[in-house]
Amino acid sequence: MSGARLRAVARLLCGCLCIAGTAQAQGGREGPSLRRHHVTLTGGVTWTGGYAIGDATAQLRGNAVGTSAPPFTLFRAESAIDGAAGVEARVGYALARHLSIEVGLAHARPGITTELSQDEEASPMAIDAERLAQYVIDVAAAWQLPRPAAGRLRPFVAGGVGYLRQLYDERTLVETGRIYYVGGGARYWLRGGDGRQRSLGLRGDVRATFRQDGVDFEGRTRVWPAMSVMMFWEP
Amino acid sequence: MTRVVAFAMVVVTALAHPAPALAYLKFGFRIGDRTVDVRWSMAPVPYFVNERDGPGVTSAEFRDAVAGAAVTWQAVAGTTIGFQYQGFTVAPPAGMDGRNTLGFLDRPDLDRVLGSTSLLLDAATGSLIEADVFFNTRFPWSAAPQGVPGRVDIASVVLHEFGHFLGLGHSAIGETERIATGGRRVLGSGAVMFPIALTPGSVSDRTLQADDTAAAMDLYAVEADRGETGSIRGRVVKHGRGVFGAHVVAFNPATGSLVGGFTLSADGQFVIAALVPGPYIIRVEPLDDADVESFLSGEVDVDFKVAYAPRMVVAPRGGSSGDVAITVEPK
Repeated sequence: MSGARLRAVARLLCGCLCIAGTAQAQGGREGPSLRRHHVTLTGGVTWTGGYAIGDATAQLRGNAVGTSAPPFTLFRAESAIDGAAGVEARVGYALARHLSIEVGLAHARPGITTELSQDEEASPMAIDAERLAQYVIDVAAAWQLPRPAAGRLRPFVAGGVGYLRQLYDERTLVETGRIYYVGGGARYWLRGGDGRQRSLGLRGDVRATFRQDGVDFEGRTRVWPAMSVMMFWEP
Repeated sequence: MTRVVAFAMVVVTALAHPAPALAYLKFGFRIGDRTVDVRWSMAPVPYFVNERDGPGVTSAEFRDAVAGAAVTWQAVAGTTIGFQYQGFTVAPPAGMDGRNTLGFLDRPDLDRVLGSTSLLLDAATGSLIEADVFFNTRFPWSAAPQGVPGRVDIASVVLHEFGHFLGLGHSAIGETERIATGGRRVLGSGAVMFPIALTPGSVSDRTLQADDTAAAMDLYAVEADRGETGSIRGRVVKHGRGVFGAHVVAFNPATGSLVGGFTLSADGQFVIAALVPGPYIIRVEPLDDADVESFLSGEVDVDFKVAYAPRMVVAPRGGSSGDVAITVEPK
C-alpha cells in the first residue's frame, strides 16, 4: 500500500474519532443504542481498496569469469490486487448497550493486474486481471461511543481478526492468510434504539485492514482500506 | 583460451532419433504410435571414469567433478535419480561396451564442441542401456574452485552433460548476442542445460536452476510426489495457425523461477510440467538465441515478436491449467 493511501486511511480514521469527540462535547443526552443481550443482523455492500502484492524480476545468470556476474534482466513484473466491490454480512450480539461482538463474512472478486516492463524485446504492457474469489471471515468487537454524534447517529470504533481465503479463477488454487483490522464508523437509527423497540438502521464502516499471507509475491504484510454501507436490524 | 572456446556449443548425440515430447526438452523415442520418454529405468546408475588426465585437469580432479555433478543431480528433491561410481577405467568414453563412461577424448575435428553424450537405448521400451560422455581435449579445462580465466570449468560442463546422460535435451532459457567473428556470446543463462557455455572461467553453471530441476522432476519424479506439482498447457498461434518451435517460458513471480517449454506440434500446442503450484506469467519468444538444431528438427517458425499470455495462468497442484491461447505477431 502506498504512503499516500495509508495517509488517506489514517485521515479517515481520525475523522471518525474527531466526529466522536465532537459528539461527546455537544451531546447532552443518551442517544439510541443496541438492545443489551440482543442479536443484530447486518448486511450490505463493501469496497476493498487495491494494494501492491509484489514486484518480481525475471533474471538470468550473468556471464562473467567467476561467480560475481551481474544478472541479466529478462523482464520485470509489478503486480497489484485491484479495488473491488463485494458483499458483507455480520451477526452481532450486544454484550452491553455500547459494546457488541460480531462475526462477519465478506466476499469480493478483486482482480490481479500485472504491469510488465524492462523487456528488451517487448514494449511495456499490462496483462489482464486474473480474478480472485476472496472470502474473509472475521470476529470483531465494536464499541459504540457513549454520546451521539448528532440526533440518531452514533459513532463506534471496532477492531477484529479474521481468516482470509483467496481462490484463483477456475478455483484451481487457494491461498489463505490472516487479517487484522481497526476502524470505525457510525450507525444511524431509522427505528428503535430506545431499548424497547427493535432497531433498524444504516451503518457505515471504514477500516484499515492488515493482511498476512494470502496472494502475495513477496510474502509481506499489506494494508488496504475498506469501506462498507450496510443495514442493521434486531430481529 | 581461444575465442572459439567462448562460443563453443555443448551438444548431445543421441543414437536414437530424438523426438521430444514435452518441454525443457526431454528426449523421446517413438515406439509404434506413441512416444516414450528416454530415461533410465534403473537406480542407481553405475558409471566409470576414464583414467586419462585432461588439459589442466588431473584424472582425480575430473573424478571429483563427476562425483560432484552426480550429487547435484541426485539432490533434486522428489526424484529417484541416483548414480554409483564404479572406479577408474582404461576404456574410452565411446563405443558400446556395456559401461557408462565419462572421460577426455581427442576430438580436434569438433572445434566448437566442449563435450558430448552418446546414448544407447532399448528400442522396445525406450529405457537407456548405456551412456558415454566425452570432454574434448581441444580445450583448456580447469577444476579450480573459483574458476580460471580462459579455462572452461569442468564441473559446469560435467553437470550439463549429466543432464543429457539422464535423458534431458537442451533448455532455451538464455539470451545471446551474435558476434562479429561468428557464433554467439551468452548474455544470460537460465538453465545449466542451455546449449551454449558461459565464458571460460565462469563457474556459475555449477548449480542447477529451476528449469533443470523441473525437467529432472518431470522425468524421475517419485510417484507419490507427482501430485505436488502442476502444469500449464496452451497453444501459440499466428494468423490463426499454430506455431511450431516457439519457446514458452513460465515465470513464477513468487519464487522468481523460470521454466521453459516448446510448442512441439504443428498446431502450436505446449505443455510445461513439474511446476511449483501458483500463478505464472507466460512469455513466448522465437527460438533465436542459439542454433535451432540444438533444440528441434523440423520447420521451426522464428518469425514472430515476443508476446505474453493475456493473463496470469495458474498451475494447480496435481493438475493442469486450462488451455491458454497466446497470439503472436510476425516481426
